[in-house]
Amino acid sequence: MRRTLTTFRTLVAAAILMAAFGASSGSFAQQTRDGLNPTGQNPTAESVNEDFLFKQDPKITGRISIPDGKAAHLIQPAGRDYRDFRERWLPWLSALAVLGAVALLGLFYFFRGRILMEPGPDTGRKILRFNGFERFAHWMTSSCFIILALSGLNYIFGKRLLMPLIGADAFGVVAQYAKFSHIYLAWPFMIGVALMLVLWLKDNIPNKIDIAWIKAFGGFIGNKHPSAGRFNAGQKMVFWMVIGFGTAMSVTGLMMIFPFALTDITGMQLMQVIHALIGIAFIAGILAHIYIGTLGMEGAYDAMGSGKVDLGWAKVHHDLWVEEEQAKNASGPQLGRHQVPAE
Amino acid sequence: MLIKRKTGGPGRTFHQAVTIGETPKALDRRAFLRNSGLVAGGLAAAGSIQLGSVRKAQAAGASAIGPEVTIKKNICTHCSVGCTVTAEVVNGVWVGQEPSFSSPINRGTHCAKGAAIRELVSSDRRLKYPMKMVDGQWTRISWDQAIDEIGDKITGLRDKYGPDSVYWLGSAKFTNEAAYVLRKFGAFWGTNSVDHQARICHSTTVAGVANTWGYGAQTNSYNDIRNAKTMIILGGNPAEAHPVSLQHLLSGKEINRANMIVIDPRFTRTAAHATEYVRIRSGTDIPVVWGILWHVFQNGWEDKEFISQRVYAMDDVRKEVAKWNPEEVERVSGVPGEQLRRVAEKFAKEKPATLIWCMGATQHTVGTANVRALCILCLATGNVGKPGTGANIFRGHTNVQGATDLGLDVTSLPLYYGLVEGAWKHWARVWDVEYDWLQSRFDEVPAKGGRKARTRKESMELPGITSTRWFDGVNLPEEQVDQRTGIKAMMVFGHGGNTVTRLPEAVKGLTKLDLLVVADPHPTTFAALDARRDNTYLLPICTSLEMDGSRTASNRSLQWGEQIVKPAFESKNDYEVIYRLAAKLGFADKMFKNIKVVDAVPDAEDILREINRGGWSTGYCGQSPERLKAHMRNQAKFDLVTLRAPKDDPEVGGDYYGLPWPCWGKPELRHPGTHILYNTNLHIKDGGGTFRARFGTERNGVTLLAEDSFAKGSELTDGYPEFTMAVFKKLGWDKDLTAEEMATITKIGGANIDTVSWATDLSGGIQRVCLDHGVTPYGNGKARANAWNLPDPVPVHREPIYTPRPDLVAQYPTRPDERQLRMPNIGFSVQKAAVDRGIAKDFPIILTSGRLVEYEGGGEETRSNPWLAELQQDMFVEINTGDATDRGIKDGQFVWVSGPENNAKAKVKALVTDRVGKGVAFMPFHFSGWYQGDDMRKFYPHGTDPVVLGESSNNTTTYGFDPVTGMQETKCTLCQIRAV
Amino acid sequence: MARMKFLCDADRCIECNACVTACKNEHEVPWGINRRRVVTLNDGKPGERSVSMACMHCTDAPCAAVCPVNCFYTTADAVVLHSKDICIGCGYCFYACPFGAPQYPKVGNFGSRGKMDKCTYCAGGPESDLSTIEYEKYGSNRLAEGKLPLCAEMCSTKALLAGDGEMIAQIYKQRVIKRGYGSGAWGWKTAYRETVAI
Repeated sequence: MRRTLTTFRTLVAAAILMAAFGASSGSFAQQTRDGLNPTGQNPTAESVNEDFLFKQDPKITGRISIPDGKAAHLIQPAGRDYRDFRERWLPWLSALAVLGAVALLGLFYFFRGRILMEPGPDTGRKILRFNGFERFAHWMTSSCFIILALSGLNYIFGKRLLMPLIGADAFGVVAQYAKFSHIYLAWPFMIGVALMLVLWLKDNIPNKIDIAWIKAFGGFIGNKHPSAGRFNAGQKMVFWMVIGFGTAMSVTGLMMIFPFALTDITGMQLMQVIHALIGIAFIAGILAHIYIGTLGMEGAYDAMGSGKVDLGWAKVHHDLWVEEEQAKNASGPQLGRHQVPAE
Repeated sequence: MLIKRKTGGPGRTFHQAVTIGETPKALDRRAFLRNSGLVAGGLAAAGSIQLGSVRKAQAAGASAIGPEVTIKKNICTHCSVGCTVTAEVVNGVWVGQEPSFSSPINRGTHCAKGAAIRELVSSDRRLKYPMKMVDGQWTRISWDQAIDEIGDKITGLRDKYGPDSVYWLGSAKFTNEAAYVLRKFGAFWGTNSVDHQARICHSTTVAGVANTWGYGAQTNSYNDIRNAKTMIILGGNPAEAHPVSLQHLLSGKEINRANMIVIDPRFTRTAAHATEYVRIRSGTDIPVVWGILWHVFQNGWEDKEFISQRVYAMDDVRKEVAKWNPEEVERVSGVPGEQLRRVAEKFAKEKPATLIWCMGATQHTVGTANVRALCILCLATGNVGKPGTGANIFRGHTNVQGATDLGLDVTSLPLYYGLVEGAWKHWARVWDVEYDWLQSRFDEVPAKGGRKARTRKESMELPGITSTRWFDGVNLPEEQVDQRTGIKAMMVFGHGGNTVTRLPEAVKGLTKLDLLVVADPHPTTFAALDARRDNTYLLPICTSLEMDGSRTASNRSLQWGEQIVKPAFESKNDYEVIYRLAAKLGFADKMFKNIKVVDAVPDAEDILREINRGGWSTGYCGQSPERLKAHMRNQAKFDLVTLRAPKDDPEVGGDYYGLPWPCWGKPELRHPGTHILYNTNLHIKDGGGTFRARFGTERNGVTLLAEDSFAKGSELTDGYPEFTMAVFKKLGWDKDLTAEEMATITKIGGANIDTVSWATDLSGGIQRVCLDHGVTPYGNGKARANAWNLPDPVPVHREPIYTPRPDLVAQYPTRPDERQLRMPNIGFSVQKAAVDRGIAKDFPIILTSGRLVEYEGGGEETRSNPWLAELQQDMFVEINTGDATDRGIKDGQFVWVSGPENNAKAKVKALVTDRVGKGVAFMPFHFSGWYQGDDMRKFYPHGTDPVVLGESSNNTTTYGFDPVTGMQETKCTLCQIRAV
Repeated sequence: MARMKFLCDADRCIECNACVTACKNEHEVPWGINRRRVVTLNDGKPGERSVSMACMHCTDAPCAAVCPVNCFYTTADAVVLHSKDICIGCGYCFYACPFGAPQYPKVGNFGSRGKMDKCTYCAGGPESDLSTIEYEKYGSNRLAEGKLPLCAEMCSTKALLAGDGEMIAQIYKQRVIKRGYGSGAWGWKTAYRETVAI
């Protein structure tokens, strides 16, 4: 087991180097220069065998006349390692990540409870935090994410949890729809990630304030709430996680949607591994995001709900941003009576 | 979709539950169904959400009971091995193929083509109805209209230009009967220009082998190779061209731990299984063979007894061989002397040894000489006429042997009778027509181009134009073509248009023709080159799987193929089309006088009976349709190695499988056929024989008859000439003839019955009596090491026309220019010009060609079969790794291959490989449909374009013809390769 | 109970592709799906060998293990089959398969890779034996008729052997002993965790 894992790790490492843009394997590594004249040789006695070829390359590759590069691989024992990853490790890792995140959040909720609004002079006044388009981008991405996450988890846990409940035939249908949704919703998800990048990039550039925010652990340590711009360091982390993981998921996902277009079997296995590992991390991370945006903090949800947040809450959590917004416009971005927020 | 109904009850015991290993997936089908809810009681609610592609299973146990399945046996059309195809037919539709385990030849197996042959019949890319090109557009016409118009046109041409202006091209895929009928048609039409693919594959073999020991055919059989202890495969790649033969070769190699030596410019799939590989320069076969013989003679390894008893003039060969010492051989061919010594020792000492060759030896300007040299190698080492020995010549199509035998050949009437008066008179008797009438059909030719005028009789006895030169016959100035006019019309039955070299010249010829008729299951390259606007007809012919008839495999075995299904679409079989044409021309009644014709379809069995009545010279007389059918019924009874059935079998007792010719006497005599030619260790009644005394009894005071050698049980214990009534009378054997036989002989001989021979005696009496006395009807002669009637009586090396070694041309020039087969052959001038112009500098790579396992011949048929086409989707050129690097060429990219003539170029994909050595390139010859870089798909009639198209290798091939047979040079020319 | 296996004797295989087209013919396999294929190793050089490869019907099959919908099952003859009704065409089995056996039809635009198709050892699928629906989805069921896979039955040089593992191993061993050489049972180590010891 350890040996196979090591092999697989080496494989993964090697593949990382070449996979992304699909340098296909160096299958004909030992070409003879100039075509050594084979006359006088005994081709029967010199026949190649598996052991010999495996010493040269972890997979045996030859020539095939059909124009299908992957068909030229005769034997790739790494498939066994891939299987070990998927069946022995991935379910546990996934369960650990997802359940672990839920447990941690539960503990946090248990000990810290819901972070409540701190009443202040501006409590009750509203300030527009996210306009309609921003909220559209968020919700498009997040709704896709939820379905992607569920359908993704179905690839791992469906047969273990759902199938025994509803029977294989029904499960087959569910899984088929899950696969379709996974593939088709990947597109709006990717558009959403791209939109969010464009919309919020400038507000998410890390700066010095973030260091203070992190040092203060976002207010948990000490009694003064640290300063923050439109997004505090925690939110920036979520942003960059979404952008980073989203991009990784997109790239690996696209490679699976168009299998073997850019890489060979080893690369495909690697894509699968990356997609699965990042996927579960992503789910865990987003669970925390969901928690803090809903249950974890009073008032936070409104930002993506109605788009308007309580000015008092904003001044506590995003003081610099509120100052900035108010400076921009004497009346500030807060809504005048005649204005109706774009929903 | 059709489902096959199979025998055997559904649901066997193995579907019981088991668990294998630790996975919970090890379920049997029922347990699986139960778990997956596929059986009744599954979770119906969710399961009923139907997706387009998810279908519910039917209730378990409901198996489809189809209609009755009929089994039909025919012969695979794709090479000469003669694999039996077992077809399952339901309601007249061919629904499946099963392995033909009972066939002693293929034992259930097939190659890619044979395993995909069902698609040939059901292919929707076939020609579906007769078509005519009207102003550049293909238009559908009826059969009646087609035959009418074609008949009128050729009659017009005949009246104006004489019968030789119409060229008849037959097919190696014809049945024996169709080949015979077309040759007969040619005779009735009045021309000898009736040819077929043998011209371009083994014509030089037939000429070379027949001129050595009598008959132009494989001496042994595929199965017999199992007996060999050494086999040399020279210029052949049976692993791709004859894959099923490899079953016998490799079994032999394994069982005997035999030496398998492959001599080839290319490291082929066959070479991969060799025990020794010899790489030679293309076109240096004679130096290599003489180089082997040099060691044989030098070390005294030759079979001296065999030579003295059965070979004429081996000393003449010694003189030539003495020139080929190891240094000279290596200088010319590149093969080290030490290696050839090893090969020589094995071939001469580890016997029995056999020599296998194919088109690598034959398709050269020195093709006949190559073949002769190979035969001489067998003779010198005593490797002929015994099991495990011989010249095992692998031929190309199903029936290329049979079609050659039956006279689709410009130099002979059926069964090698030649064109002499006696031959015409023999066939006139068999056909029951007047000799004078036949003569009246031929042309009188006025004096022309410095040649004398020619009478009808002379025309009748003059060989026609070969298929390799048909377009020269169109293009050349008329005074250069030795007949009244050049060729005006091509009647092409089952022959590709891309298989002849110098395609650009062929295209020129096509534009000039007054009429082009292509009768074929597919339109072929002939019809799809952008050359014609009018007067072009396509006649849909069925494949030979859709017709009855016999086929002769390479080993001379005849196999009866039965019609598997009725001809698809509007296609008709060859018999019917030839009959209808004959009827239109007014001689059908004469031609089919003794053949049953039902609804314009002549009966194949009756045609074979007519062949039997006339086929004495080659022993095609004993293979009646009844006997052949009995063989097909009893296939399983024949031995794998000896091909013989047990003597006590009531139907086929003692017979060799397929009654390999010669099968002497009338069918009632039940001669078993001849498995191994010239085998003196068997009684002639058991298939024994001697070398044929074909060339007289003595020459320059030296006997041409065998000495102290005779077949087992022979009453004559020395050499003897062929048997005529004169010889019979001397021996007193004429008394053994029955009154009835004597009456027939008297009728034939008239005043001079002494001249009636074993080959012309229609009673079969002479052969019957010969057999009783244990002698071979054709005599007991010596094989000729010196064939004085050939241009090079003892083979000498001659450099290819386009040679990469111009330095050798002065010493080894090609033959001088001369006229052959009605055409000029200016090879010498072309070679000289090439050397003078330094062609080898501009075109430094040797270009050779060959076969792919997936395709066959011109390839229209196989490239239209998606199962095969998927496996080879692009025309390619194999180029050596080093040459590719020098040119910056990567595997899989497009390159231009250009040739030294006609500014020829071909756009193909590069296959960078070490199969070919440095300075050598290889192209497969099956492609067409691209021409000099242009896709010609739109020129095919709608829906008949093959799946895969590609540049034809013959776009770039060049001049060069064998002086004896007009064989083209496809294996050695020059080219340049550049990245696109 | 028989334990069905394939064994390709590479010292006999000549890349004639009969196994490939026999399969196409028997099951009417469409263009682009190659249930069986022949790969040539060391092409053009001494030592060159060709090996015919399809689903090896592995012991403890990786495809079955990684299938997210458990559509695979193993018959009592140890033939690994799957249900196209359950398969969702995710492609994981291809990544896990050491032999490149699973094939997917392209049924439309991106992502609509069809249901997996692979060598059935000429044993059909979960539908009832020899039914029309079985033929349409999986091809013919020769095993149910007491016949072996057509690829092996039609192999031109009898290189490809199919049948009970013990028996074909025995045939192979005898061959190797007789002829004195053998490049081994290709893929057996990976598929069955055993080799043919001579």
